[in-house]
Amino acid sequence: MIAQLLALSFAGSCAAWPLGRVLGRRTSGWLLALLPAGLFAAFLRFAPTIAAGQVVTQQVAWAPSLGVNLALRLDGFSLLFALLITGIGALVIVYAGAYLSDQEDAARSRFFTLILLFMTAMLGAVLTDDLVVLFLFWEATSFLSFLLIGFDADSAHARRSALMSLRVTAGGGLALLAASILIGATTGSYSIAHAAAHAGELARSPWAGPILLGLLLGAFTKSAQFPFHFWLPNAMQAPTPASAYLHSATMVKLGIYLLARFEPVIGAVAGGRDVVIAVALTTMMVGAFQALRAENFKAVLAYSTVASLGILVMLVGLDGPMASVAMVGFILAHALYKAALFFCAGTVLHATGLIRLRAMGGLARFLPVTAAAAVLASLSMAGLPPFLGFISKEFLFEAQIRSSWNAFPVAVAVIVNAVIVGVAGVVTLRPFFMNRDRVREVRHRESVGLLLGPVVLALLGLVISLQPDWIGRSVLGPAVTAVYGAPVEVEVGFWHGVTPMVLLSAAVVGTGALLFIFWRPIHQRLRRQTLVDRYDAETAWESVLRGIDALAAATARRIQHGDLRGYLWVVIASAAALAAWGLLGPGPGPRLPDAGAVAGLRIGPAVVALVGLAAGVAAARARTLLSTMIAVGLTGFVAALTFLLNGAPDLALTQFAVESLIVVLLTVALFILPLAAPPTRTKRERALDAGLSAGFAAVLFVVLLDMGMGAPPTDVSGFYAARSYLEAFGRNVVNVILVDFRGVDTLGETTVIALAAVFAWSLLGPRTAQERAARTGGGHGAFILLVTSRIFFWLLAGSSVLILLRGHNEIGGGFVGGLAAALAFAVVSLADGVGRARSLLRVHPLALAGGGLLLAVASGLPGLFLHGDFLSSVWLEADLFGIHVKQGTTLVFDLGVYLVVLGGVLAFLFGLRREAAR
Amino acid sequence: MNTMTVLYALVAAGLFGCGLYMVLSRNFVRLLLGLSLVTTAVNLVVFQAGRFRSLQPPLIPEGADRLRDSADPLPQALILTAIVIGFALTVMLAVLAMRVWRGHGTLASDEIRSAERLGDPFADEVGDGR
Repeated sequence: MIAQLLALSFAGSCAAWPLGRVLGRRTSGWLLALLPAGLFAAFLRFAPTIAAGQVVTQQVAWAPSLGVNLALRLDGFSLLFALLITGIGALVIVYAGAYLSDQEDAARSRFFTLILLFMTAMLGAVLTDDLVVLFLFWEATSFLSFLLIGFDADSAHARRSALMSLRVTAGGGLALLAASILIGATTGSYSIAHAAAHAGELARSPWAGPILLGLLLGAFTKSAQFPFHFWLPNAMQAPTPASAYLHSATMVKLGIYLLARFEPVIGAVAGGRDVVIAVALTTMMVGAFQALRAENFKAVLAYSTVASLGILVMLVGLDGPMASVAMVGFILAHALYKAALFFCAGTVLHATGLIRLRAMGGLARFLPVTAAAAVLASLSMAGLPPFLGFISKEFLFEAQIRSSWNAFPVAVAVIVNAVIVGVAGVVTLRPFFMNRDRVREVRHRESVGLLLGPVVLALLGLVISLQPDWIGRSVLGPAVTAVYGAPVEVEVGFWHGVTPMVLLSAAVVGTGALLFIFWRPIHQRLRRQTLVDRYDAETAWESVLRGIDALAAATARRIQHGDLRGYLWVVIASAAALAAWGLLGPGPGPRLPDAGAVAGLRIGPAVVALVGLAAGVAAARARTLLSTMIAVGLTGFVAALTFLLNGAPDLALTQFAVESLIVVLLTVALFILPLAAPPTRTKRERALDAGLSAGFAAVLFVVLLDMGMGAPPTDVSGFYAARSYLEAFGRNVVNVILVDFRGVDTLGETTVIALAAVFAWSLLGPRTAQERAARTGGGHGAFILLVTSRIFFWLLAGSSVLILLRGHNEIGGGFVGGLAAALAFAVVSLADGVGRARSLLRVHPLALAGGGLLLAVASGLPGLFLHGDFLSSVWLEADLFGIHVKQGTTLVFDLGVYLVVLGGVLAFLFGLRREAAR
Repeated sequence: MNTMTVLYALVAAGLFGCGLYMVLSRNFVRLLLGLSLVTTAVNLVVFQAGRFRSLQPPLIPEGADRLRDSADPLPQALILTAIVIGFALTVMLAVLAMRVWRGHGTLASDEIRSAERLGDPFADEVGDGR
């Protein structure tokens, strides 16, 4: 049932986006408020069940493998929050409908959607029993409040404030996540109730400190506790309905909620309560001090909220049943009067366009009902009887006196409460009743939408305290029971004789009255203390952020320096170091051959290999690019010869073809590129590079010797050797591996070639229409080449087909065949020009490559349908004209490879020639 | 252990080192030629992984139904595609080098900075957005 309510809330929030646009200016707020109002009614129906001492739970499987479930748990404390969230939510929606009536429909719909989604996230956070789920909803409230604070996205100030609140609260959420994971690991469960029940176990675990720290960071950032309090006054950039909702009644209370849930853990950890109370008292003082200094209507309310949140945190920290009673009572009282006052402030701001309290006055003439609501709410805030604020303040002092703490918190509470009284007077009397001549006219008067929220909330602050029985029995009592863990008998009333609490209350009110009377001099004197602004938490936060930015910038400039050589140095040096570690680190050292045991020198291959090495050294030392290219080409031919001399004719053939093509292609490139290559490295850099390269080569040499000493791996090769003919009907095992056993692999490599060709083609050739028009036909080569090219073409083209067809059983295959065919066209293009070669080819080279790729893929389909295995070969046997023919899909696949290679190489060749002709 | 094994190890490692030395150059074309050299060296390394058991090509002779006593076919299959891919890579880099030359008039990798010239990523963070 609870999960359905959550789902309904979410669905309704999403629907607000289109609905807000359709419903229009006047009605949308009223109609959309039906969603939170309906949810309020639904939650109210749980009240008797909860009051009877039951806890409603519901499990929805979410990620069971991770042990994360949408575990929902509704007890008295959750119910109190759910009622506040939905009840005030409904009033906020109504108020926002009127407040934003001058905005466009789209903006208003956006606001409704965001604030309803925020409500859903809040509900989820207070209803779940799973820490991971709580974290998700927790961060959802952070992100949604970011969007709401930055609602006026055109304002740089709003964006800055939004980002600040996001960084503080979402960052605190991460601390909460860390604590949650530690709790899950320690207790074996992510259940909040389970963790609270096993507080002693948690406190004894070695992780008790980090867990407490994470929980406190999460709660303190969310509830704007010192030193993270600064985001809350900045968050007043939000539209006032959002401020009333987020920054008085709901979001900032989420931290209190978390602390209250984990109060047993805080109490069980040594020093836990001390830390909480110390932070709370500091926050109270800072909030009160800044409230006296603040100039703007909303800022005064914001700082008084900070102070109130400090009081709530202090009440969590205090022990004893009265602390829980006072906390629950103050949550309700504060939510009611603070939201009402924010509503009044919003109406004033909206109607006058003024921000500073000093500029306002006499508004009761224009906004009489608002003024009346403000008076009622302020009386509750000041804690005067018979308002709810009075009762909650009595509880506060009683909790303090009955706790095991000394008088210091009491003294702080008296001072801070006195400031709150003063604030209550200032924000009501000054703008509405005093200085009657300051405001001559207002933009608009009150409307029902603007009045419903403040009036209902302000009256509730009176009605509840006059008729406390029902709400005390059905909502507050169960909430206290849930927080304290046992029912607490409370007598609610206004007069219990001359108790210490009454005396303290009297002191508070008296001091508060003095503060109000001398507000101006105190305020001005405190404002002159600019030292505070220079050393406050916000400045410290900003400088931390600046430091992080500077560190990031410095780091980025250091590692992203833009010099390719530096990047490659890191890669190569790391690879060399890792390989060296593998050789020399723990474990047996490298196996090296004995000097005496070497034998079997083959003179010819040895000479070839050494020539290759010499060519490599020459390439590295060469001054011009042409000689470098020749030397590199020579190493390629040496590799080809080495393959040929060691039983790999397929490789030799491929390497020969590739080297020939590289000569043709790179020659074209070198037509354009400068051949002279002046040194790009200093002498020192070259020496360093030579050292690194030599070091890498030495490591590789030892690795190869070590590898050579080991037994040759035979398993996989033996598999292919045994099955190549029997299962794949091919005698050339290399080709069988390529087109059959590892066909998918080959398909991938073929795709790479085709894509490289597409890439090159797109980069080359005429880039504008004029260039295309001016394209020349291409020159002719030497006469003797011209005459013989035709012969070469047909010889090469014919043999390439032969290489392809024989490939499965003898030396050859698609790759070599394609390269040979490309060579045929290369000869023609060298002799006769690209135009002639292209007309011989007839189709576009990329079409050839693409067609080849399609063919290769298609050749895998029969296997897929017949054997359920893509690219497994299918064979057909037939007697045609007396000749026995046996062919498999592997030939089709190889033909595809052939076409891709041919098309790809020709795309390179034609593209380069076109580019050279530009 | 065969002398040739040691010799081929020396050649492969040496070519690898020469290639790396060229790769570290700031001249784009020298870099790509160095990469081509490294490709060749890697192919030789993979080739040695199959050892030099036999000099016979891995072809199943007529009349036999399985391969006996020949060079290892598996590294050969791996190298064969590697050769073609390495070739495509080299040519693609050459194409890039041409475009770089046409577009920037330089082949020095530290002078090609149009991507960095987009601006300081932290420039607009100062005034607003914190």
